Amino acid sequence: MSENHYVIETVDLNVWYGESHVLKDLCMKVMRNKVTALMGPSGCGKSTLIRCFNRMNDIINNCRIKGKVLFNGKDIYNPNTDVVTIRKKIGMVFQKPNPLPKSIYENVAYGPRVHGVNDRETLDKIVEKSLKSAALWDEVKDRLEDSAMSLSGGQQQRLCIARALAIEPEVILMDEPCSALDPIATTKIENLINDLKKKYTVVIVTHNMQQAARVSDYTGFLYLGQLIEFGPTKQIFENPQEELTEKYITGRFG
Amino acid sequence: MPFLIESFSFFYSSKRKYFKEIFIKGTLFVSAIFAIVVIFFIIFFLFKEGHPIFENIGLWNFLSGKEWNPTGDPPSYGAFSLILGTLLVTSGAMIISVPLGFGSAIFISEIAPPKIRSIIKSGVEILAGIPSVVYGFFGLTVLTDWLRVTFDKPSGECWLAGSILLGIMALPTIISVSEDAISSVPMEYKEASLSLGATKWQTISKVIVPSALSGITAAIILGIGRAIGETMAVMMVTGNAAIIPKPITNVFSPIRTITGTLGIEMGEVAYGSTHYHALFGLALILFAIVLIVNMIANVILGKLKEKHMPALKKKKRKMLSQKTMWRVKRSIYALCSLTLMWLLVVQFGIEISVLIISIILCCYLISKKISAKTSQRVAFGIVALSTIIVLFILGIILYYIIANGARALSWEFLSQYPLDSGRAGGIYPAIIGTLYLVGGAILIALPIGIGAAIYLTEYTKEGLLTKIIRTGIEALNGTPSIVFGLFGFAFLVLYLNLGVSLLAGQITLALMILPTIIRTTEESLKSVPQSMREASLALGATKWQTVRKVVLPPAMPGIITGTILSIGRAAGETAPIMFTAVVFSQRFLPTSPLEPVMALPYHLFVLTTSVPGAEQNAYGTALVLLLLVICLYIIAIMIRNHYRKMRKW
Repeated sequence: MSENHYVIETVDLNVWYGESHVLKDLCMKVMRNKVTALMGPSGCGKSTLIRCFNRMNDIINNCRIKGKVLFNGKDIYNPNTDVVTIRKKIGMVFQKPNPLPKSIYENVAYGPRVHGVNDRETLDKIVEKSLKSAALWDEVKDRLEDSAMSLSGGQQQRLCIARALAIEPEVILMDEPCSALDPIATTKIENLINDLKKKYTVVIVTHNMQQAARVSDYTGFLYLGQLIEFGPTKQIFENPQEELTEKYITGRFG
Repeated sequence: MPFLIESFSFFYSSKRKYFKEIFIKGTLFVSAIFAIVVIFFIIFFLFKEGHPIFENIGLWNFLSGKEWNPTGDPPSYGAFSLILGTLLVTSGAMIISVPLGFGSAIFISEIAPPKIRSIIKSGVEILAGIPSVVYGFFGLTVLTDWLRVTFDKPSGECWLAGSILLGIMALPTIISVSEDAISSVPMEYKEASLSLGATKWQTISKVIVPSALSGITAAIILGIGRAIGETMAVMMVTGNAAIIPKPITNVFSPIRTITGTLGIEMGEVAYGSTHYHALFGLALILFAIVLIVNMIANVILGKLKEKHMPALKKKKRKMLSQKTMWRVKRSIYALCSLTLMWLLVVQFGIEISVLIISIILCCYLISKKISAKTSQRVAFGIVALSTIIVLFILGIILYYIIANGARALSWEFLSQYPLDSGRAGGIYPAIIGTLYLVGGAILIALPIGIGAAIYLTEYTKEGLLTKIIRTGIEALNGTPSIVFGLFGFAFLVLYLNLGVSLLAGQITLALMILPTIIRTTEESLKSVPQSMREASLALGATKWQTVRKVVLPPAMPGIITGTILSIGRAAGETAPIMFTAVVFSQRFLPTSPLEPVMALPYHLFVLTTSVPGAEQNAYGTALVLLLLVICLYIIAIMIRNHYRKMRKW
């Protein structure tokens, strides 16, 4: 397979929070236009890893990083790399829905606005398209001026996805996007992820094995800061190579 | 029958315990409502002494009369120029301190690295700790002189000097409250914005600041409240002519504020005269203004707390439609810019105004064109600059007082009595007097304050009663120090016939620091986890045993910190003791609490304003006072930081 198939690649990635070593010599590759799931027990470093992909760890005070994270072949931790451009191309959806305290419309329009789109008509189009892609348009089209806080949890999370889509990223990172949602809202988000992979590369962190099995093409299993196994989802779940992976999948620990 | 005896002794001890609990609860309750009683007494006495003037010449005439000349023939009591003076000086102060404070708050909470942040915060705390009379002294000896020379005016004592000084004094309030508001914006908002590729500055300006806006507004209003109520510093630098500046924007005109009038005239007025009543009428107006201003701020801050409470379900709120919002915004902008333009034209004339406006327009157009990155760089530069200015101001004040004061400092200066109206000799009795005053004030305020705080956090549920008590404490906290002085004079000195005495001063100061003690104690009690109380209560300990053995020990560092901070505040206050406790010169130390004393801040005030040629000793006194207060603050900050690190929960 040619290099172009890989969007994100980590090379010997090490992360420390203060004294604790959270990620150890991690090497993995994320395929373009596929859904890659990262699973593992709590505290294994999966959220830390995904936050390395768009440098959200920068805002944590005592975080130290060694190694490389390549995005389309370029190291995003290179001092010359502009973090803003990286984040524009790699969107993120967080564990807890985090709409901004603005209207639904302004939430989606926020991204394009900060990137210099001020024309009202263009913004209208972007908002409509993004909300449609996030399967939220029909529910909110009559109340775009309402506060985003008035939406339900599941709607808020889809709004956050729409907000991420509005700046047309290449990759969407999702950090346990369903952990704060009920089963119905979860199903909606999972269906949405399936649609998204046609256009985007999705990396999703989950502590829910069934979810990883349902939505992803590739799965990585992390344990205590190390990538134990990485491969096609089918293989990981049906024929794991590592004993730890098998133990985790069969529910004997974790 | 051993069984009977046992059960009897059990019954006996539990009954005794029961009465003890009741007694303790009662005592705590009394200390909690003490604040309400005090605020009621203050209002009552201000009204009692002030209302004759309203009856005499009418409330409207009193408020709108342009001339204030109580010693004229016939005397005239028009408070308009004084009220206007207060408003002008305060608005000038806000023009200076709002941008500086706002910028510094952003820099401290969002941009500065942790180490630098704690240094700047300590600097701001020291700025808050400098006594107002020391500010006034600095203003009179350095600032007014600088203004006089720089702008080539006959005198530097003017509106501008007052505004600059008050602006500096309002800075710590504005910085710390808005910094709190900015820091309490949820991390999620910041993450959301950054993950969309917004720059740090876009995130700050479009998400964080709008979310913190109500807190920042409250900060500014609290700053206004502080500025309106300030007495000593304003009185020393504004020139105190009860006139309306001509034209109204002439910042070099001398001006007189309400507080200044009270500070100057209260000392020499005849008890019971119309003039006396007029001063209390003024105090009543001042009290009302400050009370309203502080209430507004507290309502806003209260709303803010509700908003960030996660447990409360957020109300569905229909936002105004975008179009109306835009219309409202546009008209507000238009109104503001028109007012500003008018002020510019009045102040500088047409040509210069056109120049200024076109420069602003150019800047605006350029800012639209440049990239997000460049504007971030510019914005960070401005914000950092405002922080540097704040620290620079602190540096200058400290430098002048330390450099000049060090020359006066000697063992003799600290241990001798003053000679030649304070021009020579030392300040020994003033130091001792200040220690007496502060010690007494703490002895009175500490038990009441801690009792009230324990009652509020441990013995009641939040309800109407606690709301009333808290409102009383807040009102007391916002009451200007000069109003305490007037109250002390009317109630303690005259009504209770204590005379101008150590005791009257101690009580007045105690009332003034009471709210600080209550608030800091309450905060530290609340920071003790509920689970620790439950653990103790579940073992059958009584409420009071739980409070005494489980809650109070871990809260102690916080209480000590609060106490030291109040000592610092009490030591530097002048206005409350000016009419209740102090004399300028005294040959002996007081032998009973009913004798008057000397005190450092008042000594400094008199040396600066009424004794020509005492500059050296004034600097020395200022330095001693400053060192005393700052050392207390540093100790308090160190205790706080030390225990914060130690805390395990």
